[in-house]
Amino acid sequence: MRISCPYCGDRDAHEFVHRGDAAPRRPTSDDGFYDYVYLRDNIAGPMREHWYHAQGCRNWIVVARDTRNHQMSGAVLAREASR
Amino acid sequence: MSAANSVVITEQSGLGLAAVMSRKGVRPAAIGAALGLAPSEGPGRVGDARLALIGTGPGTWLALTEAPDPDWSLQLAHKLTGLASVSDQSGGYMVFRIGGNGARALLQHGAFIDFHPDVFRQGSAATTVIAHIGVILWQRDDTPTFDVATFRSYAHSFRRWVETTAAAL
Ligand SMILES: [Zn+2]
Repeated sequence: MRISCPYCGDRDAHEFVHRGDAAPRRPTSDDGFYDYVYLRDNIAGPMREHWYHAQGCRNWIVVARDTRNHQMSGAVLAREASR
Repeated sequence: MSAANSVVITEQSGLGLAAVMSRKGVRPAAIGAALGLAPSEGPGRVGDARLALIGTGPGTWLALTEAPDPDWSLQLAHKLTGLASVSDQSGGYMVFRIGGNGARALLQHGAFIDFHPDVFRQGSAATTVIAHIGVILWQRDDTPTFDVATFRSYAHSFRRWVETTAAAL
């Protein structure tokens, strides 16, 4: 599987660390913190995921991927996605 | 190894190396204005023997000089006060120069990136892995000659990978 890093370009998946669903947002209080830290949806279909380019530019990126066929429809730096 | 696939590897000694990380909101152009060059916003090498910046990530570069003063990294940090942090890496990395007409084929055996001259040419750079060893590499000229920086403690292992792989070209 190749992942298109916004900075480095197309790279083999083994350069990356996979974190999973990028949807959870940090809660402002303790309520919901367990869900935020531990619970990740495991979607069959298109989803946005966090990947860390550990063996490249060392940036977190948000990748739009269809988990059924690994088709990628885009990737942005996580710091830009969170704006 | 046939003459058609010769590889020449030399260790570069006496280089000055430093990691440059721009502070929040500082554009690459501001870094460039302070240093008198226009750094690449992507993975590329810009500069000369006096000072080159190799893009390693958004807002980060490996700075390299071939003739460092003893306080070279401090001078660099002084020029970039308020713009970027500078940490001396001269002892942290070893830089290998890899040339010869088998150099491209050699690197293509190690890194999962495209080294075809249509897409990787003079000034191109990449941060990636070769044989599980992290590397920052860039193409110096179209001979072609490549420079590969690796953490110094991995230099022996990297060199052994070059020698065994070059023998099989
Ligand atoms: Zn990257």
